[in-house]
Amino acid sequence: MRGMRDFLGRWSGVLVLLALWMALTLMTPRFLTPSNLLNVALQSSILAVVALGMTLTIISGGIDLSVGSVVALTGALTAGLMIRNGWPVGGAILAGLGAGLALGLLNGALVVYGRLVPFIATLSTMAIARGLTLVYTRGYPISGLPEAFTFLGTGEVFGIPMPVLLMGAVALGISLLLNRTPWGLHLYAVGGGEDLAWLSGVRVNRVKGLVYGMSGLLAGLGGILLTARLWSAQPNVGVGLELEAIAASVLGGASLSGGYGSVGGTLVGALVMGTVGNGLNLLEIPSYHQQIIKGLVFILAVGLDRLLKTGPWPARSIPVRRRGTS
Amino acid sequence: MDRPSAERMKGLEQPARIMPGLGALEARERWTRLGLVLTLVMFCLALSLLSPRFLTPGNLINVVRQASINGIIAVGMTLVILTGGIDLSVGSILAFTGVVAASLVTSGQPPALAMASALILGSLMGMLNGAAVAYLRIPPFIATLGMMTVARGLALSYTQGRPITGFPESFRWLGAGWMGPLPVPVLVMALVFGFGGFLLSYTIFGEHLLAIGNNPAAAQAVGIPLRRRLVLTYGLSGFLASLAGLILIGRLDSAPPTLGIGYEFDAIAAVVIGGTRLTGGEGWLGGTLIGALIIGVLNNGINLLNIPSFYEQVFKGGVIAAALLLHRVLRRE
Repeated sequence: MRGMRDFLGRWSGVLVLLALWMALTLMTPRFLTPSNLLNVALQSSILAVVALGMTLTIISGGIDLSVGSVVALTGALTAGLMIRNGWPVGGAILAGLGAGLALGLLNGALVVYGRLVPFIATLSTMAIARGLTLVYTRGYPISGLPEAFTFLGTGEVFGIPMPVLLMGAVALGISLLLNRTPWGLHLYAVGGGEDLAWLSGVRVNRVKGLVYGMSGLLAGLGGILLTARLWSAQPNVGVGLELEAIAASVLGGASLSGGYGSVGGTLVGALVMGTVGNGLNLLEIPSYHQQIIKGLVFILAVGLDRLLKTGPWPARSIPVRRRGTS
Repeated sequence: MDRPSAERMKGLEQPARIMPGLGALEARERWTRLGLVLTLVMFCLALSLLSPRFLTPGNLINVVRQASINGIIAVGMTLVILTGGIDLSVGSILAFTGVVAASLVTSGQPPALAMASALILGSLMGMLNGAAVAYLRIPPFIATLGMMTVARGLALSYTQGRPITGFPESFRWLGAGWMGPLPVPVLVMALVFGFGGFLLSYTIFGEHLLAIGNNPAAAQAVGIPLRRRLVLTYGLSGFLASLAGLILIGRLDSAPPTLGIGYEFDAIAAVVIGGTRLTGGEGWLGGTLIGALIIGVLNNGINLLNIPSFYEQVFKGGVIAAALLLHRVLRRE
């Protein structure tokens, strides 16, 4: 039985995803076609990029609520620099990524030096970045982007959409970082218990600061991809994206109390979210009802995942968040 | 920093003292609380210097009335956070129960029945949150996030996205009425805070909440009916969210399904500014009240100083972060 339980615990996310795919295949013939599956991958890819950064902060025991606003700000900034100031595509993209990194590092500084709870520090940044986006765009979308830029969101290489390729590259990079470098080990150690990590010689502050910087950077990349895909920068884009990214991470096995989380899991989590969205559209469910179903599927998926992981009802495992260690 | 756990456990033998009462305050905590009050006073002073319209009785009552909705929600949020959880669904529960009450009353049902249904519905939705947390073992963040999406979807599909308007006077009383010199919402907020304070300081229930937040496994080991307590706590949060919803739609004389988006963040901010630990087990309801008032003064200031709406969020986020940072700096000395 132990082997079975280990198997279920390890692959619970994939099993949930397969169950979802099977259900959708039975419900509509249009789901299991190559073009639609590619579409699901495309729809999930931007969320996955942002969620991978979120996963890093969650592994460290924190959270980054600002990603949705950072997506909007970097998208608007990149588009604005190209359209209003005539910057070259490459320069604008670098500036956008730089802005994302800077906001992420600001989060890191607030958490590390300001000793603010990550929830609150990033909540402030969320408000500030959204406000700056509205100020910069004056509430209007910025459109008319050059082809060279929109290629990032809409182009294809060897039949694979660019966002999916970029997501693959990001996932590979982070996976290597987490599993093949000492830094990855340090990150899990910090999430498992800061005091112990510090006593073992891990530079806790540096790890934590960097994690938020990377989350901001990836949110910046997400913003650029989204802007390229939509052909314009919308000031209200990315509202609620932080919650979807957290959901993807948690579906992928990350624990909000830190120390757990993986690249593969988060990708599966993002695919689950993308599949649900895609399925609801294929089934032509009205948008108001989509929200209700999304919320229910979300809770059920996490509940099922927990059930597969721990078996039915152990007496003394209660999901109240663990105390902070600092 | 944490107190040693032996000291924490000691509180279990001494009912009614686990919540640091006024007599048992450590000097440090007293300073922290004083600092919080001073922050509020400083905000008020700064605003009265910047705008002559701030320090008038009419405006001050207005500030408290505007803060009352967030304050009422924040009481429930404080209880939930004390258990180590969080409730992201309050804004959506407020919206759904609000539109249900509004549709009942506009279809000719008596206002009292409409209000009661909203409150019961809100409590049930909150209890569903609690059941998901306690029985399905779903992390509170995720369970209430799901409820947030579901309840918002219910509100939107129930109304087909259109606001419901035109309520009878008696239905609006809760939000727009006056009792003597004070607006009804302010009185309701005072009652809710009084009730919450009583619950935390003088009842076994409050003691249990703190014990659960401190260490859920230990709380269960000493025989606290943890699951039922969690269901009740989230239920209270849902109840208070729907109460705040009734006040809000009474004041607006309209119930749009988009009501209360982002209210969860304001409530959490009030709780955290008030010094309650986000990891649970330690907190002060009075701090939540001051936190709600600080946010209320901030919003009022944004209006009085005519800050352009695009800058509003930059300003608000910046000030809240700055206030908390200042608080940290003062506290370390």
